[in-house]
Amino acid sequence: MNSPSHLPSLPLVLFSFLSPLSTATQMLLPWEYGVRNLARRPVRTLLTLAALATVVMLVLVVVGFIRGLERSLAVSGDPDVVLVYSVSSEANIENSSIAARTPSLLTATLDGTWKRFGVNHVSPEVYSGTRVKTGDGEEGLGLVRGVTRAAPLVRRSVRLIEGTWPGDGEVMVGQLASAKLGGRPEAMAIGESIEFEGREWTISGRFSAGGAAYESEIWCNLSDFQNATKRQDLGLVAMLLAPGSTSAEVELFCKERTDLELRAIGETTYYQTLQQHYRPVRLLAWFVVVLVSGAGVFVGLNMMYGAVAGRVREIATLQAIGFRRRAILFSLVQEGVLLAAAGALLSALLALLFLDGLAVRFTMGAFTLRIDSIAILIGCGVGLTLGVLGALPPAIKALRASVATSLKAV
Amino acid sequence: MKMLMTLMMIGLFAAATGCNESKLVTGSGSAGHGSGTMNSKYLAASEPPGAIPVGEARQNAKDKDAVTLVGRIGGSSNPFIDGLAAFTIVDAKVTNCDDEGCACEAREAKDNIAMVKIVDASGKPVADDARSLLNVQKLSMVVVQGTANRDDQGNLSVLADKVFVRPTN
Repeated sequence: MNSPSHLPSLPLVLFSFLSPLSTATQMLLPWEYGVRNLARRPVRTLLTLAALATVVMLVLVVVGFIRGLERSLAVSGDPDVVLVYSVSSEANIENSSIAARTPSLLTATLDGTWKRFGVNHVSPEVYSGTRVKTGDGEEGLGLVRGVTRAAPLVRRSVRLIEGTWPGDGEVMVGQLASAKLGGRPEAMAIGESIEFEGREWTISGRFSAGGAAYESEIWCNLSDFQNATKRQDLGLVAMLLAPGSTSAEVELFCKERTDLELRAIGETTYYQTLQQHYRPVRLLAWFVVVLVSGAGVFVGLNMMYGAVAGRVREIATLQAIGFRRRAILFSLVQEGVLLAAAGALLSALLALLFLDGLAVRFTMGAFTLRIDSIAILIGCGVGLTLGVLGALPPAIKALRASVATSLKAV
Repeated sequence: MKMLMTLMMIGLFAAATGCNESKLVTGSGSAGHGSGTMNSKYLAASEPPGAIPVGEARQNAKDKDAVTLVGRIGGSSNPFIDGLAAFTIVDAKVTNCDDEGCACEAREAKDNIAMVKIVDASGKPVADDARSLLNVQKLSMVVVQGTANRDDQGNLSVLADKVFVRPTN
C-alpha cells in the first residue's frame, strides 16, 4: 500500500506521546490555577483580550469579505442559462454590441431554448456602467441593465419584492443598488428619482436576486434605455436552455456563423472567469489574514513573556514540589489559549451581530459580507492558534532555567 | 479524564489519516479534459493526400463537396466546443493572436476559418470532447477529410469522418 512518507511517523508520534501523557495527567496543574492567574493582573489580561479580539475580528472581516465575494459570483450563474454576446468583447460584456435581430435568429435556428405557453425564454439586454445621481445629490458609478418582461423568465432568481415593474421613464433597483452607489438607502426608495444618461428616472420597484451580482443593478425597459443611450443594438442575449439541452448547440451555432461575430458562454462559466479575475484580490486578502494573524502572535507573545517574567520563582516552586515541566507548560499554554478563545468567541459574536450581511461596494457591483461557518471556523482557529503560539516560547523559556537558580530569583 | 484524552488523540489520528486518504483518492480522478478517451476510429493512420488550405477551401468548396483541408486548430481563445467533437481550424498563414486576444483572432481568421464537426455513421456530431477524442489541443495542425457544408453567408463547415494530426516538430 502506498502512502505519503509522513503518514507512518504521525501515529508513532501520537502513540509515543500517549503513554507518558496518561501518567502526566495525574500530575497536571488544576484547571482553576490557569484561570485564576489570568485574574491576577486584570488590566493586562483585559488589554490582551481586547488585542486578540481585534486580531480575530480583522480576520473575520477579511474572510467574510472573501466569502461574500465568492458567494456573489457563485450564485450569479445559472447552469441552464447561456449568454450570447459579441466575440470581440471577450469577458467585458459591457463593451459588447450585437445586432438587434440576434434573439429572433437564435430562437428560429436553435431547438434548445426553453419555450412555455408560446413564450421563448430569451432575454435581450443592454448592460452598461454609467454615472448615476440620486435625489440627494450623491453620484456614483451604477450598473444599468435594459431588459424586457422576459428577463425574469431567464434570470430566475429575480423577485420583485416591492412596487411594480418599471414603465416608461421608470426603473426598478436591486436591494444592493444603494450600496453600489455609496448613497443612503432612503435615496433609492420607491417614488424617489435618479438621474443617468441625461434623463430623470422614477424608482417604481425593488427586487432581490438571492445575492447574485445583478442585485446591485438598476433595471429599466430595454427600449427606454436604448433611446436614452441612442443605440439600436443589443449588448447580449441571455437564453434559458430547455431541459436536456446543453450550451454546446449554442456555442456550435455561434462558431459556425462567423459572419454574426457572436460567442456563447454558459453563465456559470462566465462568472467562473470573473472569479479568476478577482483571484489576485482574494490572494491579497488571504495575505492580509496571514499578516494580521502574525501580529496577533506577537501580541500573545508579549503578554505571556510579561506574565512569565514575574512568575519565575513561582514556576520554580511548582517544579520543586513535584509538578513536571510538561504540566507547567500545559498550564501556561492553557492561560494563553483561554484568553485567545475568549477573544475569538467575543469577536465571532460581534461579527455575527453587526457585520454579517453588511453591504460592500465593489467594482463589479456590491455584495454582502458573509460571516458563515467557514469564516467562524477560520477566525476561531486563528484565535486558538494564536493562543498556543503566543504561549509556547515564553513557557519553554521559563522552564529551561534550573530550579535552584529560579528559586533565588527576585 | 484519561479516557477522554486518549479518545481525543485517537480521533485526531483518525481525522489526519482520513484527510490524507481522501486526497489520494480524489487526486487520481482529476486529470484530463472531458470524459472521452482517444478514439482511433476517427483518427487517420496516415495523412490523406491532396489537402488544401482552409482559405482556399472557403473560396472554392461548394456545398456537399468532398474536401480535405489542412489547418491549425484556432480562430478564437477557445476553438473547441465543450461536450461535442467539434472545433474551428484556421489557415496556417493566419497569425496566432495569443498576445492580442480574441479581437485579433476574429479579424485575422474571418475569411480563413472553418468549423470541423466529427460525425458518426449516421451523420450526427459525436458527443465527446475533441481534445480527448483525438488527443489534440489548440494550435495542433490537422488534416481533415469529410463533406463541406456551406450556408448562404459563405460559412464553411466540414462534417469529418477522419482527422489526421500532424506530429509537432
